[in-house]
Amino acid sequence: MSQQRSSYAVGTGLFIVLGFAALAYLATQTSSVANVRQGDSYTVDAQFTNIGQLKERAPVKIAGVRVGQVQSITLQPGHDVADVKLSIDKNYNAIPQDSVATIFTSGLLGDQYVGIEYGSAKQAVAAGGTLARTKSTQPLEEMLGKFFGAGGVVDNVGGSYVVKADFSNVGSLSAGAPVKMAGVVIGNVVSVHADPVKLNAQVVLAIDKRYNAIPDDSAAAVFTSGLIGTQYVAIQPGGSPDVLKDGDEMILTQSAMQLEDLIGKFLVNGSSDKKDAGDGKSDTPAGKH
Amino acid sequence: MNMREPQRHNVVSQSLAQIGASGLFLLTLLAAIPRSMRYFRETVRQLWFVGAMSLTIIMVCGLFVGMVLMLQLYHVLSIFGGTSASGMVVALSVYRELGPVVTALLFAGRAGTAVTAEIGLMRATDQIDAMEMMAVDPIAYVATPRFLAGLIAMPLLCCVFCAMAVFGGHLVGVTWLGIDNGTFWSNMTAVVDVRTDIVNGVLLKSLAFGAVVSLIAVFQGFTTPPTSEGVAYATTRTVVASSIAILALDFVLTAFLM
Repeated sequence: MSQQRSSYAVGTGLFIVLGFAALAYLATQTSSVANVRQGDSYTVDAQFTNIGQLKERAPVKIAGVRVGQVQSITLQPGHDVADVKLSIDKNYNAIPQDSVATIFTSGLLGDQYVGIEYGSAKQAVAAGGTLARTKSTQPLEEMLGKFFGAGGVVDNVGGSYVVKADFSNVGSLSAGAPVKMAGVVIGNVVSVHADPVKLNAQVVLAIDKRYNAIPDDSAAAVFTSGLIGTQYVAIQPGGSPDVLKDGDEMILTQSAMQLEDLIGKFLVNGSSDKKDAGDGKSDTPAGKH
Repeated sequence: MNMREPQRHNVVSQSLAQIGASGLFLLTLLAAIPRSMRYFRETVRQLWFVGAMSLTIIMVCGLFVGMVLMLQLYHVLSIFGGTSASGMVVALSVYRELGPVVTALLFAGRAGTAVTAEIGLMRATDQIDAMEMMAVDPIAYVATPRFLAGLIAMPLLCCVFCAMAVFGGHLVGVTWLGIDNGTFWSNMTAVVDVRTDIVNGVLLKSLAFGAVVSLIAVFQGFTTPPTSEGVAYATTRTVVASSIAILALDFVLTAFLM
């Protein structure tokens, strides 16, 4: 009997040890405790005008390698910049003072992290010091806005005149969509219908009478506001001395872009920094309209 | 010490009577804890029976829950290109919900029924009455050790279950479906929080479920009619009542803890 009892005790002891081992494993290996495990660290301040979705304990990376984490994010009352305290491993204590702290996103939908790009200064940033040069997160809307040049608020349209334009593809443009020039609403789309003879889409635009000096060689293009926004007609003024009149037809048109085309072009053209280079091309929607 | 309730035919009043009687029974159990310290070895034996003997089913089930969860998530998340988050989702869903709940349901089926049947047969064969005649308190000797054993065993079993589920998720996600190993762990460690997920999720919930399941099992065993039919009925009621109590309590605990 005592033999049996001791085997119970051993089995139970093993069970308890296994249970606690599993608990220790869960708590230390699969939870955020695993990230806290770093040696001595020092803190550096950085100020960002927009931290986007950056969270505390987000990684701090140099050259993509994790060197620390975001310790705290605070907003001083009365300031319009966020104070971000970065806790960086002591091993990486030679970060030049003019290094740039940037908020990056890992992937399109990933989490955000702080990347530090080394500067060239001889002097390293001290513990408790500040990285003065920062680059804030770029809201997706802003990037797309630069890319598409969309925006503006719908005005009330007073007296208007009607202009026709033919497009080979209007995308999802529908009646009531705004007509914009330089990003400002100057009218709206009256109707969209397919032409049975020319086999294209005929769009009737009503333009406010105030804008009666639009050259008759202006181009009409179908653009999208934002990535998944509604489509609108943008008018890019031409250089002709004659102006559009009621019932005229716009000859130069640019059809709706397919999202696949846009992304393809965006990837080829690179970031929005290069938009000036693409401005000259009539098929690049990166310029301002 | 007759705990058998008079037969009631109304379902509502019967359930209410059961809840009330089990509440009183819980107080009796807790009051008997100091007395049951004398039978410490009995508690260890019960811990071996309800805990260590349940390890196999818990480990196998945990492994498969983690594996199937990962498989499902991978196919859904691949639509959005977010497969790298699947390890994190497996960990969170297991720690917060599936781990405690599934462990408790398995525990009710594996250990709760055995406890009910054992105590019920003790009553049917007059062993309980014999103990009383020998001046051995059946609550302190039979009921409390089993209750305490369930209380201790559940959180430990739940930890094992969760660890196995993460291991299963890793097995399917990383080894089979090709999610990056580092991404799997870093996404998980970035999100899982010790206090909200492991202490509140795994430990507190499973402790509560352990208490409820053990209480129901011991109570059903003690109050069963001393016939073979009564034991069968009590065993069934242990599983049914435990399942309902676990899932209802899970909702309440989630609402309070999260």
